[in-house]
Order: sequence, then C-alpha cells, then structure tokens
Amino acid sequence: MHRLLRRPAALHLRAASLIALLLAGAFAPAAAAQEEEAAPTRTLVVEPAELVLEIGQSAELSATLRDAAGDPVEGPVMFFSRSRKSLTVDREGKVSAIKPGTFEIVVRERRRRSGENQASRVGLGERLSVTVPVTVKLPDLALLEIGANPSTAVWTGTTIQLAAEGTDVNGADRAVTPTWSTRPAAVATIDNLGEVTVHAAGSFEVTAEAEGKLATMTLTAAANPITRLVVEADNTAPKTGDVVHLRVDAFNAAGEIITDVPVEVTFRARTDDDLGPGASGQIEAVEGTARAWRFVAEQPGRYTFVASSGNAAGRLGAVATARDVAGKFTLVGHGRVDDTHTSDLWVWEGLDGRDYAVTGTWGANGDAHFWDVTDPANIERISTVTIDARTVNDVKVSADGRICVLSREGASDRKNGIVLVDVMDPRNPKILSGFDDSLTGGVHNVFIDGDKVYALSASARYDSIDISDPGSPQRVGTYKVERPNPSIHDVWVEDGLAYSSNWSDGVHIVDVGNGMAGGSPDNPVKISSYAYPSGWNHAAFPFRQQETGKFYVAAGDEAFPYGLNTEGKPTYPRGWIHFIDFSDLESPRECARYQVPEAGTHNLWIEDDVMYVAYYNAGLRAVDVSGELMGDVYQQGREIAWFLPDDPEGHIPNAPMAWGPQPHKGHIFFSDWNSGLWAVKLER
Amino acid sequence: MIATLFLLGVGTIPAATSEARLLVAAESADRVYDLAFDGSDLSVREVIDVGYQATEIEGPHGLTVSPDGKHWFVSIAHGKPNGILYKYDAETHDLLGEAELGLFPATMQISPDTGLLYCVNFDLHGDMTPSTVSVVDVEGMVEIEQVVTGSMPHGSRLSPDGSRHFSCAMMSDELIELDAVTLEVVRRLELTDGTGRRAGGGHGPDAEAGAQAGAGGAPQHAAVAKPTWVQPHPTKPVAYVALNGVHQVLEVDLEKWKITRRFPTGRAPYNLEVTPDGTRLVVTYKGAQAVGVIDLKTGKELARIPTSRPIPHGVVVTADSRYAFVTCEDRGAAPGAVDAIDLETLRRVSSVDVGLQAGGIALFPATQRPVAPSRR
Repeated sequence: MHRLLRRPAALHLRAASLIALLLAGAFAPAAAAQEEEAAPTRTLVVEPAELVLEIGQSAELSATLRDAAGDPVEGPVMFFSRSRKSLTVDREGKVSAIKPGTFEIVVRERRRRSGENQASRVGLGERLSVTVPVTVKLPDLALLEIGANPSTAVWTGTTIQLAAEGTDVNGADRAVTPTWSTRPAAVATIDNLGEVTVHAAGSFEVTAEAEGKLATMTLTAAANPITRLVVEADNTAPKTGDVVHLRVDAFNAAGEIITDVPVEVTFRARTDDDLGPGASGQIEAVEGTARAWRFVAEQPGRYTFVASSGNAAGRLGAVATARDVAGKFTLVGHGRVDDTHTSDLWVWEGLDGRDYAVTGTWGANGDAHFWDVTDPANIERISTVTIDARTVNDVKVSADGRICVLSREGASDRKNGIVLVDVMDPRNPKILSGFDDSLTGGVHNVFIDGDKVYALSASARYDSIDISDPGSPQRVGTYKVERPNPSIHDVWVEDGLAYSSNWSDGVHIVDVGNGMAGGSPDNPVKISSYAYPSGWNHAAFPFRQQETGKFYVAAGDEAFPYGLNTEGKPTYPRGWIHFIDFSDLESPRECARYQVPEAGTHNLWIEDDVMYVAYYNAGLRAVDVSGELMGDVYQQGREIAWFLPDDPEGHIPNAPMAWGPQPHKGHIFFSDWNSGLWAVKLER
Repeated sequence: MIATLFLLGVGTIPAATSEARLLVAAESADRVYDLAFDGSDLSVREVIDVGYQATEIEGPHGLTVSPDGKHWFVSIAHGKPNGILYKYDAETHDLLGEAELGLFPATMQISPDTGLLYCVNFDLHGDMTPSTVSVVDVEGMVEIEQVVTGSMPHGSRLSPDGSRHFSCAMMSDELIELDAVTLEVVRRLELTDGTGRRAGGGHGPDAEAGAQAGAGGAPQHAAVAKPTWVQPHPTKPVAYVALNGVHQVLEVDLEKWKITRRFPTGRAPYNLEVTPDGTRLVVTYKGAQAVGVIDLKTGKELARIPTSRPIPHGVVVTADSRYAFVTCEDRGAAPGAVDAIDLETLRRVSSVDVGLQAGGIALFPATQRPVAPSRR
C-alpha cells in the first residue's frame, strides 16, 4: 500500500525496492484518494548530484524523498535519460556511459494520486524532479602521430601541410588540436594550422603536442631547383563564366623539367567594375592532375595568373570580357487561377495534334485543370478533374499523350496514392483508376517513364508501378535510400536512370532500366549519389553539357526559413541550384552554384544548355549553362532573362511564386503558385 | 486490483462551467485553431500556423494540453520521414520546443503519474509492420524511448492515474497496454468483431470508412475490427474501444483483460470519450455524419446527433460532463468544423468552421480526468 506517510527510517529508492514500490503505489485504497492535498513541502535528494564517467563505466544514483523536517518519506520515483543513445539509466538508477559528451539523467517523483504534493492537481511544474548532469569523458589520448605528407621531400621556398592524428586508449581515432612547433626556426616555421614554410636547406624537427602527448617528425629541406616557371592557359580571352584551364611547367637552371617540387598558383585581378566590386574570380587545383588548375572570372577585367615556387615565379595575363548573354522574356499568355494555389504543370502535344497543359492545385479541392495551349497567347481552361484530395501536387502525362497521373495528398479517406486519368481527349478527361497500396500517407511527386510510374511514398522511398494496364496498376519495385530514416522529395527518370532528390541524403542516381548496372524497374540498382550539408535537396535535373560532354545534375534546394504565407502577403523562400559534376560517377563533385539573392528555388528544366528555374519569389529565370561550370554562376553574368509573374488578381495579388517551368515548342510554360499558368518566350 | 488504479484518480471536484477553451488541428491546412465556447456559441480566438516545410501538407494531427494548462502540444504527421512534436506556450502560442518522433505521430496524452507524453506513431504510409509509441520528456522535449506496439497504433490514452498507457493497433486488431513507467508492453488483447473472424482472415470495410472511396480501391488489409480509439473509464476498471471496421464499441474489463460488452454503433465509429461523470459514452461516427451518445449502464444509444459537416473525427467532453465538442473533417476544399453538443438536451448547439480536415482536438485545460464529480 502506498500512502503519503512519514516514515521514521530512510528509504533509498534503489534496486529491487524501487520495483516493489512502483507496484505498491498502484494499489492504494480509495480512501487515500480522498485525503486532503499535501502541501508541496517535500524535497527529492539525488546522490551523487553529478557524475563523471568513462565510456563503458556505470554508476548508481540514489533518490530519497524528504519531508519538510528532512526526514525520509516513502514515494516512488523514476529515472530516464535525455540522451538514451549515449547514456542509459535503468529503472533502479544505474547509469551506463556509451558515448562521450555531456548529458542529463532526470530523476522524477511519480504521482499516482491526484493532488499529491502539488499546488495544482497535476501541474507538471510542481512535480519534484532533479536533473543530474553526467559528463562522459573522452577516452584518454594514447597516441599522437604526425600524418605523413604524401611528399616526404621538402624544398626551400615552399610549404607543406601536416596533420596530427590521435588514437585513444580504446584504439579509436581521436580528433586532436595540437600545438605545433619547429626547430630550428631558421630552417622552417609552422603555423597553428600545421602548415610548414621552409626557409632554408637543412634538417628540421616538427613537434605536435596535445593532451600531454608528443609527436615529432624530422624533415630535410633541399634547395629548390626551380629557376623558371611557365604558365600556359587554354584561353586568355575568356568570357566571364568560362572555365580557363591552366598548366604550369617548372624548369631548373639546366632547362630540365622539374616535376616533384610544389608549385602554387594564384591570380591578381584588376576588374572593370568600379562600383565596388565583389569577388573577381575563383581558382582551384585540379584534383588528380599534376600542375593543373582551373580558373573562372566572375567580373570582366584583367587577370594575371602567378605561379611561384621558391624564388621562381611565372606569370600569364588574361582579359575576361562580359559574357553578354542577356536576353528577355516576353509575356505571351496567362491562364489565371485565382481561387486557389496552383502546383505543378505538364505540357504535351495531344493525340489530335493540339497542345495541352495540366496544372495541379494546392490546399484546395483536389482539382487538376486542363488547358488548351495550342495558341499560347490564348490559353484556355478546357476541363477540370476533381479527385478526393486537398493537394494535387504533381501532374505528369505519358509520352504518348494518353495517360495523366495525378498525385494525391489530403484525401478524406487518408488513402491518397495516385490517380490515372485518360487524357486522350483532354476536353473530356476520364478517371481510369487509382492506386494507393502502401501509398496511403500521401504521394507528393510522380514521374512517368514508358509504362512505369515512379511514385513517392512515406517521404522515404519511391515505388515503380506498372501502368501497362491503366485500369489495374501494379507495383513492381521500390527504391529506398539505405540509411536510417531516409527521406525523399522527388524523382525524375531519363534514359533508364532515376534521379531522386532526398533532402539531406542528396541526389541518388539509380539504374531502373538503363542497364549500365543491371537495373530495372523491379530491380533498381544505385549507381551514384551526392549529398550536400544544408539538407535542402528538393529537385534534380540531369543534363549532358553539349560543348564539353560533361554530365551534370542540377540539384535544387527548397527552404522556408521565414515561413509560408498562404494568404494575403508574399513569401520569401531561400535556396539555390547546386551543379554536381557526375561525369565520373564514382567521384561526383559539386562545382558551381546559381543563387539569386534573397529568393528560393523550386523546380527546373534544362534544354539546349539553357536552364529554366522557377525561382519562387524571384520568378522565372533563364540561365546560360553552356560550357564547363565552375563557381558562382549568378555572379558570372550567365543569367539570360527573368520574368516576374505579377498578377494583381492572383490568389495572393502581386506575389510571384514561380513553381515549375517546361519549355514546349518554342515557348516556356510555367506554373505560379499564386496566379496559375503562364506562357513566355525567351528572346536572345 | 486494477480497480484501485482507477479509484486512485478520483480527487477534487471541479466547479461546473459552461465555458471552455479548446484547440483543434486542421490537418490539411497546417493550422491549429484556438477556440472559445461561452456556453452557447463557439468562436475562433486565434489561428496558429504550424509546420516547417511550407509547401507540403505536414498534417498536424494530435493535440494535447499540459495538465497545468501552460503548454499545448501538436504532433506533425509528415516529416523527413519522421514526424515532429511541437510544444507551444498556451498564452502566447510561441513555439517553445520540438522533438522528432516516429512515422506519422498522431494522438497523445501526458501522464499525471510520470509527467511524460505518450504519442502513438500511426505510420499511415501503408507498411503494415509494427509501429511504436514515442515517450517524450516534455520539459526537455526529448524522446526518451520508442516502444514497439502494433500495426498502425492509434488512440493513445492513459489510465486515470497515468500509470498505464493504452493504444489500439488498427491494422493488427489489438488493444495494447503499456506500463507507463517501465515502458514495456505488459498485455495485448485481440479485438474481434464477435463473429469469430480473426485478424488476417477477413476483409473488413475500408479503414476510416465514411470517406469517399478511393478512385481505384485499395487492396484490403488483414485487419477486421480496425480499432481506432481506446478510452479508459474515469473510475471503473474498464475501457471502451471503437471498432471502426465493424461498427461497434467494445467494453473491455481491464482486470480480467477480456471483452465484456459490445455496443452496436453508427457506421465507422472513430474516436470516443467517456463523460467525466462516467455515465455516458460519446462516439464519433465517421461514416454516418453523426455523434452517438451511449448510456453506459444500459448500453443503449440515447441519441444519434447529426454533425454540421461530414466525417466527424475527434471528441472531447467538458469536465462537468455537460458539453461535447466534435471535429468534422469534411472533404476537399470544404472547411472543417467544430460542433458543440449539449449532452443534456442531446442537441447540437453551436458550430464553427475551421481549416481543412479538422481532426485532433483538446480541451483547455485538459478534460481534467481523472477527476470525477459525484454520480448522477
């Protein structure tokens, strides 16, 4: 029996006694429940008040309830950890350390009787609770080593980068931040980041010190043999945004080429911009290729590339001119949707040779609108299909123009899934079937490739669904990122390769029929992937750069750090386009970005080396993505045109929110969240 | 023995009041509505936008208010991929904290025993695998444990003393009892329709029936009874379970851990609430656009009260057992609604439209369980 009784003897709630108390407290008589509330005069004493543990070590906490006089009283408590994957506690108060860090164990008085020891009946704030800080120490450092530089030889007038590596007492790698020194300093010095500058020939010792451990390395500097450096470039008259490839040859006094001595290359800029220029350009070494660099100018002007090693230097000048790709978008037509928000679009040539578009709706009635866009200057809404949904986020039409697939979210039966619509006569679309098996949580995006639909589910995977019999779709395969808690947002399929956008897991390229990895729709095989730190990967569009043959994926962000205004006023998203060079599928590399300040990207399309981006509040943008890409594309003057879909009669008036573009027969169609379907023409 | 667990919860009797403050989640609008009821009319006090990924429906589903009334909590069903629990200041509606939970976190409640929040991870995405109950320290906003229970757990409710947690596994036809302290599943009860059909052997009507059928029709899953809600009685060792798939409410004896009574209901009972005085049961009939009021002594349905809009979802009852508030989802672009029902006259006395797909509902302060006034 558990009652709120004073007991003369101390009662430490530990070990098996706690379990007994937990059970005992459950069977108090009804009379006890009718007692007057006790004043909140008790205290909970936990010992020890804090813990310092080693990994793998355990300790016990004891908890004692005391009354106002300081006498122990009976009462049940519970223990829990706020970091259960790093520090555990059992029901008896035994704490076990798993990972290093600072954590908290909470010891809390339970209450099984209303009004027990609290001012308000069940006020959590009145509950007796003690938080015990627990520090789990990093294992002691057992070994400190200086990582060997790939080049064991050093030369005067050059630098080398060293790194210290730690190993703890458990044999695990351990990050360290050592203090560096060299002697004699006349031969070499070292900065606090471990970069050695060699001043004279001779031997010198490098020392790293961390947590009482020392590591030393003796190096011998030789006289730098380089007396002459020659810088060559494949283009000394680039446009801004063109990537210039630099090569440097180093010679000794005898005119022999020296290959094993480090050479640095940088540049000096005198830009034409006299209005307070920002960054002028960018240079980087080409990984894996000796004595090779790439450079891109963001601003027009004069550039001097400077190669140096020891006392030798070589220079090469270049003049960058403005890219001069500016064009303009001309408004051709507008199919207004003002009663609700518009989502994605698809444009296609119908079986009758006329051109049609379908647009979805967002947060509304489950409508998909069909349009005749044969004359883009006179866009005509010709029909509407309504399905049980609140949002039809994505719409796609099969390449043969017969089947439209609608994604479904917010269905009243919470089954969602996808809906197939016969659009052979877009003026009279007919619902053919639905498919929601294991897609009940809502489908956000879809793609059609041949007779397969790729549909997202559970924010975690995409399914390949056979629609060869559109009246009876069948799932044939599934792809899920093999990581804990994978998350996905979109999928696009081209040449049998699926490009999925997976937020923090980045872009995944999967063989779903290409054959290069033996994949098929029912046996998707991952080929490559690339993730970037922001975790904002929302869309992906693959393109093979026509001039260079490079294979890029343009990966778009989506982020709303300032929220979304669904009514009344504009929204200010953030994010940009990441260009990822997948030419080497084994080693993808992020090489460039397109970022409009103070705005956020959504969907995109690339055709003929022009990227069309629905840049939400920054409207529709056209960008020259010809040639090799490097650096900040926006700053390089690669932007061709932009168009703001201002509509005073939009669902939110005059609030551009471009959603998705699609070029079609010489026009660019795009949907806008606040104003519907637009058609523009790019004039260059 | 179990009876004492329930009697323990009986405490002071709150003053009867006809005024109420409540919260309602509009699942397809990513909004929470702060509503007031003055004894005759419902009105919207404030609308709070919730969520983090603006252009996607994130689905605020479950709501609860801390026992002291100082904070409210909402579960966000859709995430990347896990859902999120948000904590708000009850007066200012400032967001105070968040914790990542499991897949599609739904209904939840805070235990007066442990002070912890228990939220079922409904996992609506169609993978009929056992899901979990998340247990959250709401002071630190940290999920301290996930306990595997059943397939599509729903109806997260605690015993009056807060020491036991009950949930239904909708797609494995189970009632599951969790020890709220040890966080271990202690009992499971198979829920049948009373005809001998068992989970895995039949094809019940669509889950959450009453909504329009999907265009293509989903494959049937194994569950028969499809329990969607459980509510322990405030003073007796029994609990009531809504069987959405077979249009019944069960009474389960928590001492003997067996089904003792079955009440036929309107189509697709979904949520239910026992009046704090312990005499009646208020059940939303999702497929009948109505709310049923069942006399717990006789088992008879006293009234079937039409709701203002289709697809009634959640229900709460004021501490004085006088009024029930019911959310209605409706369909498509039609707004959701909240109805106030007078449980004395058994009539709907007020309605107010809210955002799309109104579902989760919580009284402010909480329904004040386990306090029970004297019997009528």
